[in-house]
Amino acid sequence: MNQELLDNLSEQVQKGKAEEVAILTQKALDNHIAPDKILDEALIKAMTIVGDKFKRNEAFVPEMLIAARAMNKALEILEPELVKTNVQNKGIIVIGTVKGDLHDIGKNLVGIMFKGVGYKVIDLGSNVTPDKFLEAVEAHQPNFVGLSALLTTTMVHMKEVIDLLKSKHPEVKIIVGGAPVSDEFAREINADGYADDAASAVAVAKSLLTS
Amino acid sequence: MKNKKQLFEQVVAGNLPEKTLFRPILMHFAARYSGHTYGEFAADYHTLVACNLKALGDFDMDMVGLISDPYRETAAFGAPVKFIPEGVPICEKLIVHTKDDINNLKNPDVYKAERTLDRINGSKLYQETLKGEVPVIGWIEGPLAEACDLAGMSEIMMYLMLDPDFVNMLMDKVMITAMDFAKAQIDAGCDIIGIGDAVCSQVSQELYDDFVKARHQEIIQFIHAQGARVKLHICGNITHLLPSLKEVGMDILDLDWQVDLMKAREIVGEDVILCGNINPVDVQNKTETQIFDACKSLIQQQKDRKYILSAGCEITVNTPIENLMAMRKASLENGI
Repeated sequence: MNQELLDNLSEQVQKGKAEEVAILTQKALDNHIAPDKILDEALIKAMTIVGDKFKRNEAFVPEMLIAARAMNKALEILEPELVKTNVQNKGIIVIGTVKGDLHDIGKNLVGIMFKGVGYKVIDLGSNVTPDKFLEAVEAHQPNFVGLSALLTTTMVHMKEVIDLLKSKHPEVKIIVGGAPVSDEFAREINADGYADDAASAVAVAKSLLTS
Repeated sequence: MKNKKQLFEQVVAGNLPEKTLFRPILMHFAARYSGHTYGEFAADYHTLVACNLKALGDFDMDMVGLISDPYRETAAFGAPVKFIPEGVPICEKLIVHTKDDINNLKNPDVYKAERTLDRINGSKLYQETLKGEVPVIGWIEGPLAEACDLAGMSEIMMYLMLDPDFVNMLMDKVMITAMDFAKAQIDAGCDIIGIGDAVCSQVSQELYDDFVKARHQEIIQFIHAQGARVKLHICGNITHLLPSLKEVGMDILDLDWQVDLMKAREIVGEDVILCGNINPVDVQNKTETQIFDACKSLIQQQKDRKYILSAGCEITVNTPIENLMAMRKASLENGI
């Protein structure tokens, strides 16, 4: 019965049905399903499936965005219960589009994917200076920093951020991505990881944790 | 000797000339190459045309264009657009948030709005200078892209699934201006109208078919009725859209570097002129020899077919001059 409810919740998140998701999340709590079980076995599961479909070109940006919206609806209900039961985030990531670049859709998708797998996401927005990244790292002590750029003219600013963060906080892993960015470029600028799309970013983060 | 417009018409007709036509998208590169900023290039047609003409001469390109940034029509609709020296102009505020906003949105007179008039004047200046011997590519924003420019990309992407009426209402409105703007540029002398609908690569084929395909067909038929050709430009990987794009009727289909050119040819057939598709980041970063070889390979793939050599998207501002020259060299030495 409870498994069926969780499966249904997962399915509704995948379909982006926010209202149904809110109802089912509340019902799951009312049925005394542990909040972390709802998070892991319905929400994270759903976003992982959507992310995999995105990677295989079976889901696109609209599907990702509405699934994320539905997941956020569930989290609004779930988060107070997670706090009560002292469930921890799986980690923290600071994300932002680098200085001079106003494009944010790719960065937003990365945020969605990390939130979807249980990370706390600190989104600094677009046109973010190296100093702002440093401030955020010092304030939040993240596991990862994700840098995005859509333009060849702004991707060069990724190196400035990496140089600054590595000089002060070498322990933070930095992942870069964006249309003009390549694995080769990521290595050149001393990034720890390169993600060629939003769904891959989570896998890259996981591999960095185990490496 | 045939002029460049005649050579283009030969390609359209399938009577292929001895050389491969060469037309990379130039904006920021062209501006800096002529000693101007991107902001100056986007803000004033005199600068835009002068920069393109210098590039036309120095790189022996086969067409010139009027493309600059996505916000010509957006500004004409009333959104505040700010020019910045070394970057794409910024739309400072979204002006459509509700269906009432859409109802209240007035289609601009493209001859009176500053930024649309600027592009129309650019077309006239090209005609005065080139005497009709070089194809001139005008530019309009496609309906889905313009909807995003006015209402926000994330918002429109979600409304496609959550509030289809909103998107349809907005796209119906922007279609009117798209066609007005296309006609004005054709009347001013443009031979080809480029439709930039970059965001389409981010939606499924199903959503493209439901929301955009018929609108693309309508604009393309309209432009054809005005006597001009159509180039459709969608940034990114559009492999999943190719079966639909086959049916929309454009004359030239730009392909970004993620698309397999041969696969695209198989799907869209022989009538469409394919344009592309070397990775612009490679054009910036690789050597002349590598660029030449990559272009040669593309040209040989498209031998005896309707094809224009270009990068997958805009040539980047930091591209070495010799690399762009290598592209031109490949197109001359490896004709169709």
